[in-house]
Amino acid sequence: MQFDGDVLTIGLDMSMEEIREFEQFIRPRLEYLDTIEIEEGGTLRSSSLLSLLVSLKRTRPELKIPFLERGMTTSGVYGTLHWMCHD
Amino acid sequence: MTKQEQVKAIFIEEAGEIIEKLDIDILRFEENSSDFDLLNEIFRGVHTLKGNANAFGFTRLGEFVHHFEDVLDHYRSTKEDVEEHHLELFVGSVDIIKEVMTCELDVLPDLPDGYAECLEKIKVLIASKKNIPILVVVETAGEPLPDLASEFGFGCPEQMEDVVEKSIHSHQAMKEEGLNLYRIDLTLDSDSYKRGFDHLVFLNLLGEKAKSLESFFDMENVKMLDQFAGDENAITRVSAILLTPQTKDEVAENFEFLFDHEYAITPIEAEEIPQTDEIIVAATAKPKKEAVKPSSDTPTASLNAPKSTIRIDTFKLDELFDSVGELVIAQNFIAQNEEIRSIEDESIRRSIETLSKITKKIQDRVMSLRMVAIRDTFDKMKRVVRDTSKKTGKELHLVVNGEETEIDKTMIDSLSDPLIHIIRNAIDHGLESDNAERVKVGKRAEGTITLRAFHKSGSIVISVSDDGRGINKEKVFNKAIERGIITGDENLTDSQIFGLIMQPGFSTADTISDLSGRGVGLDVVKTSIEKLRGKIEIESKEGQGTTFSMVLPLTLAIIDGMLVQTAGEIYIIPTLSVVESFRPEREIVHALKGQGEFISMRGQHIPVVRLSDVFELSTQRIEPWEGILVCVETEAGRIAIMVDELVGRQQVVIKPLGKSLAKLKEITGGAILGSGDIALILNVDELRPLIEAPSSGN
Repeated sequence: MQFDGDVLTIGLDMSMEEIREFEQFIRPRLEYLDTIEIEEGGTLRSSSLLSLLVSLKRTRPELKIPFLERGMTTSGVYGTLHWMCHD
Repeated sequence: MTKQEQVKAIFIEEAGEIIEKLDIDILRFEENSSDFDLLNEIFRGVHTLKGNANAFGFTRLGEFVHHFEDVLDHYRSTKEDVEEHHLELFVGSVDIIKEVMTCELDVLPDLPDGYAECLEKIKVLIASKKNIPILVVVETAGEPLPDLASEFGFGCPEQMEDVVEKSIHSHQAMKEEGLNLYRIDLTLDSDSYKRGFDHLVFLNLLGEKAKSLESFFDMENVKMLDQFAGDENAITRVSAILLTPQTKDEVAENFEFLFDHEYAITPIEAEEIPQTDEIIVAATAKPKKEAVKPSSDTPTASLNAPKSTIRIDTFKLDELFDSVGELVIAQNFIAQNEEIRSIEDESIRRSIETLSKITKKIQDRVMSLRMVAIRDTFDKMKRVVRDTSKKTGKELHLVVNGEETEIDKTMIDSLSDPLIHIIRNAIDHGLESDNAERVKVGKRAEGTITLRAFHKSGSIVISVSDDGRGINKEKVFNKAIERGIITGDENLTDSQIFGLIMQPGFSTADTISDLSGRGVGLDVVKTSIEKLRGKIEIESKEGQGTTFSMVLPLTLAIIDGMLVQTAGEIYIIPTLSVVESFRPEREIVHALKGQGEFISMRGQHIPVVRLSDVFELSTQRIEPWEGILVCVETEAGRIAIMVDELVGRQQVVIKPLGKSLAKLKEITGGAILGSGDIALILNVDELRPLIEAPSSGN
């Protein structure tokens, strides 16, 4: 996890525990963030992270999360994964 | 050592050998990527490594090679051409395997840099080969996607069920014989995370055997942050479309720990649907070729095949060799014993001759057990050349000769590092810095590095040559004076001048540009080779290139020596050092006060070292022209060792000295002669440590 100005960069392959730490970190800082970027090369390990990102976006719609906005990700492990938010 | 530890030690040794072989084979495959026999060989190595790694709990290594094996398996079974950038991935993967192995052995918590990236590339590659659509996030970040993905993003009004249906239709078109299509719906309870179940865990399990897997997450019920509970599952439904060779029961096994209401598996029959633009096909996927049936080259078959080799601890080999050494000594003792020789009995004479022949044969055969072809070491150097070439950006051609030359296994292990160092030096500093510089002086743009191994006068020579700019002798000489390595008064041959670049402290950062780096670490190389009882010779022609030759004994256990006698004692001079031996003419022998005796020969002044003086032996002092001089090459120049007489030349088994004699720097070891007498082996470099020859005049 790297915090550079308004941009927070996180890895996709966070464990459940790391996701909880990330949640604790971001809750008080959400208002100051402009963008959440995803590090290259990672693979989503928990659907909990996807839920958290959706929750963040839902809470603060102007927050840019390019990864989430793509609506899908792929991996050699779990193939193609789409998410649908109904927003 | 417990049984478990013994088995683990064997695994570590085997794994090391497999990885070493992989390193070589992968480069060979890079050179000829249509060699599928070689690819099979690589696959078998990786397969064995995977099994062993997992058996010993090296899970990080096991996981990596598992995925690498998948990729190799795909190419070997489809015989599909391997794309160039994927070959790079193969080479990089072997590097990662080597590094992960180190991490596992040293129980390091962190994985090597590049592990995750390389693993991901492998996974992406195999996914593409399984026709799972590939999205390279890095390349497409921020760009709108012209496929189904864009339909699911924020603001998308389409209902989830519609898109799942579309996916089903797409997959029906992909369905072929031997594959089954399922729709899987996961409706995990909100406490699933606390129970240890995550949607991704199940998708990963399904993905392991899948031909294609596409899933859709319904995020409708995910709350805003103030109501969000991270440890509770808020994803009400995940629908996955799975194309797999597995049966329904096999698929269901993945969910055996879930409640029945948390999952549903629905088989979907094939349907003739014309392919449409909506079908997602990996951009990088190649048309499938007919699958090749597993044949006798499958790992199982290979593992069950009878083995023609056995593994022997080198310690046991050393013990065997020592015993044979004793046998040789005992046999020599019998053969040279005067009392036995005086028995006039034909049968005894013949028996002794037979014993001698058999002993020699046993000695040769045991020796051959320790001898291995230098091919593997040279193969490893190909990688060094490749990597250094890439790093320096210099195009070059590698020529390898004499790969079959055999050398003592003990020496091979110690030879790699010096060889790597010399090769890197040759490429980095020997070759011209760019092609234009070469072309300008009439050379081919591409540099040439030649690696050779050959026998020469009972020794093995391993040489590294470059056709680069060569060494500027004058600059080396002046630099050595500047560094205080020589005074400038010495009468040095070309070889000795070039040898100065291997003196400690010769090369530093401010060394003249066209020699920069030539001496860095070369003193270490020199020391390493000398530990092997060898020496380094340098030949160079300015503008034409340089050759570093490592001259090594055939084995560390036996030395080819010249037996000399002085004051009634026998000494052994390693023949590797001997240049010539002769009784000098009185006219060429001179003596200078404070400088000692020396001989003038072919324009050189060679100091005379009396062996009786070195070892303080009481003997009648004779003049040099009454004795024999044995000229030897030492690191400080040529010297003439004065002895009473030459006894002969013989291969002797080297025996270590006791603690008291080990302190004598003039001696490197001892040997038991056929007569039962002990002879000391001379360390000629220590007989005359400093260059003291007079510059000129008698």
